[in-house]
Amino acid sequence: MRTPVRTPRNASRADDEVAAPKSTQRLPIWVNQRLGLLVLTVALATLFGILRPAFLDQRLVLFPLLRDISTLTVVALAQMVALSVGHMNLAVGRMASFGALCAGFGYDRLGLPLQLGLLLCLFAGAVIGALTGWIIARTGVGSFVVTLAMDFALLGLVSLLYSALTENAAFTTRPSGLMDLRSTSLADICIGRVCGSPAVPQLAQFTVLALAGLGFLYTCTRMGRELLLTGANPAAAELSGIPTGRRILLAHTLSGLLAALAGFMAAVGTGTFRASIGNDFMLPSFLGAVLGGTLLTGGIVSVLGALLGTSLVGVIRKGLDLLGVGMESLNIYLGCVLLLALSADRVRTVVSYRKVVRSA
Amino acid sequence: MITTNDRGGRAGAVLRRFSRSTAMTLLCVTVAGYLALGAASSGEFLQGPSVRTFLQYLATPILIGLAQTTALCVGQLNLAVGALGGFTACLMGILMADAGVPAPIAVAAGVVVAALVGLVTGVFIVATRINGFIVTLGTMTILLGAQYRLAGTRTIDDYSPTLRDLGRAAPLNLPLVFLTALVAAALLAAFMYGAIAGRRLLAAGGNPLAARLSGISTDRQIVLAHTLSGLLVGVAAVTATASLPGVNTSVGGDWLLPSFAAPIIGGVSLNGGSVAVFGTVLAAFVMRLIDAARAQFSLDPSWVNFLIGLVVLGTVVGGRIRQTHLEKKGTTHERTPPAPASRGQTADAALPNAGGAR
Repeated sequence: MRTPVRTPRNASRADDEVAAPKSTQRLPIWVNQRLGLLVLTVALATLFGILRPAFLDQRLVLFPLLRDISTLTVVALAQMVALSVGHMNLAVGRMASFGALCAGFGYDRLGLPLQLGLLLCLFAGAVIGALTGWIIARTGVGSFVVTLAMDFALLGLVSLLYSALTENAAFTTRPSGLMDLRSTSLADICIGRVCGSPAVPQLAQFTVLALAGLGFLYTCTRMGRELLLTGANPAAAELSGIPTGRRILLAHTLSGLLAALAGFMAAVGTGTFRASIGNDFMLPSFLGAVLGGTLLTGGIVSVLGALLGTSLVGVIRKGLDLLGVGMESLNIYLGCVLLLALSADRVRTVVSYRKVVRSA
Repeated sequence: MITTNDRGGRAGAVLRRFSRSTAMTLLCVTVAGYLALGAASSGEFLQGPSVRTFLQYLATPILIGLAQTTALCVGQLNLAVGALGGFTACLMGILMADAGVPAPIAVAAGVVVAALVGLVTGVFIVATRINGFIVTLGTMTILLGAQYRLAGTRTIDDYSPTLRDLGRAAPLNLPLVFLTALVAAALLAAFMYGAIAGRRLLAAGGNPLAARLSGISTDRQIVLAHTLSGLLVGVAAVTATASLPGVNTSVGGDWLLPSFAAPIIGGVSLNGGSVAVFGTVLAAFVMRLIDAARAQFSLDPSWVNFLIGLVVLGTVVGGRIRQTHLEKKGTTHERTPPAPASRGQTADAALPNAGGAR
């Protein structure tokens, strides 16, 4: 899947190059950020596996780890979609908790089956996202401010609704299938005598769907390219006849939808629908997207990178945890990793750019 | 608010007039809200102890709002405001309670450490050219971890009684911490509106290219802005340590959103190049009023966040609508409104603000 994802990245970087198809050959392979991430993640996982064999325990360690990674990847994708048009979504966590609230409400009060509750959750997220996008596109106020205000408003609204609708600030009704979704892995799905790995949670299906959907959107569709152009250069996009307002609306709607999906997954992971879901989503959302190679300024996204960036962070977190590094010090290391990774990436880009310039 | 000059004097004058009215509106809202609260509580709210409590817990919001304003005026964001404040507060608490350092030295050390962290952040941003948003996100994570490591799960409350007394002292019913915040605001205003270094900051924020061409090092301005921001957060941590019953890991946890809300409501542009010290202080007042009203009517604390969210949204959207309205009016009349007596010279960089995505 790496090649199709590379295409928009290089293509949009190649605005000023005449031979666009050639550009895939221009940068040396070691510049590829995603390959580096993959190697680093695998190397770290191996290292942790050697230091603490318990790290490779499929049911007790890898299964929850992959479940967390699945959820946080969707969070990173939600942020990535907003970043693709050069915007930010600071309210990802709160949109997630709003989505989870709606799903919980559906299960508890309306008695909906699992699938319909999920649909309600996605719809609620999309509506909130669309509202945010509409305000941004209509008024021209920066996305940072609008999503920040949205974050404030939803933070208050969600806790108010929980305390108004429930006794102990959580929906605990679990429709049939929810607990299965939480604990089943590929080992429970067998084709003949071949069973999947017990490490891969069934929850990952949503992540795979989201990855595939966004990969298709950004590489194969006109809409995806228009989103990227809107991010890279809004004025040029407007002049080439792209309805930038509608693209911004679309990006925020998608972002809200994915955030709500992540909220649903997090709620399934913990088993209850409560207001604290999504509280700690903001940092991972930026970590995953930015480590994966998505630009903050818009125009360049990396769908697979979001998965790889999130995986790297997840592996480091879990590995250090198993090595006995306290939760408090984890944050210190994670912050250092973020800054080091980005500095290294910066150095790499500058060096490779010089090489390309010299050889040209 | 002073903005680097847009399209000559006319737009600048319009903007200045607009900005003056922002502060004016905020002032009216503050006074009206205060009086309404006083009436609703049948005068109890206007009496000594209530006023003192009200002002006591106003100091920290003002200072963190100003810290964010300083970062915003060069077009940078400082996400580490809360984490740095909490870290500094815990550091000062630990120094005083565990290491037995006398209060003045501990306070000075805390403020210096906060300023140094800001300096390092600024240098890192300039050296690596990574977006300031991401760098401060990283420092925020690191500082949160450091704060947790310092304080652990306990609450440090056995520190210097002198500092505590100073925190509670209120000559003429005006708490000392509130006066500290006001003095900090006045100094910052003098620096931004009067000093050449302050004008350079605004110029670098308003139009980096023009600033560079007129011989201002934007890199140095970014470092300076982050250092100042860290310094103000350090002062905020001092006021928090002095007025809170104890410091633990929760200090600073809820500072980030208010630190952005105050400058935005006060009329600071996120693109850089503008500063509104008075507006920020007033916006902190308004937010504190919402909190006080919440306590008065004993509502759910969640109402505060919800209302502040609506106020921020209303302010920016209303401001934008008003601005376009004014611009339309300006073009139809083709007349320049009389320029108000200039508050300080207009900034050196006299080129339009690029705005939009960069």
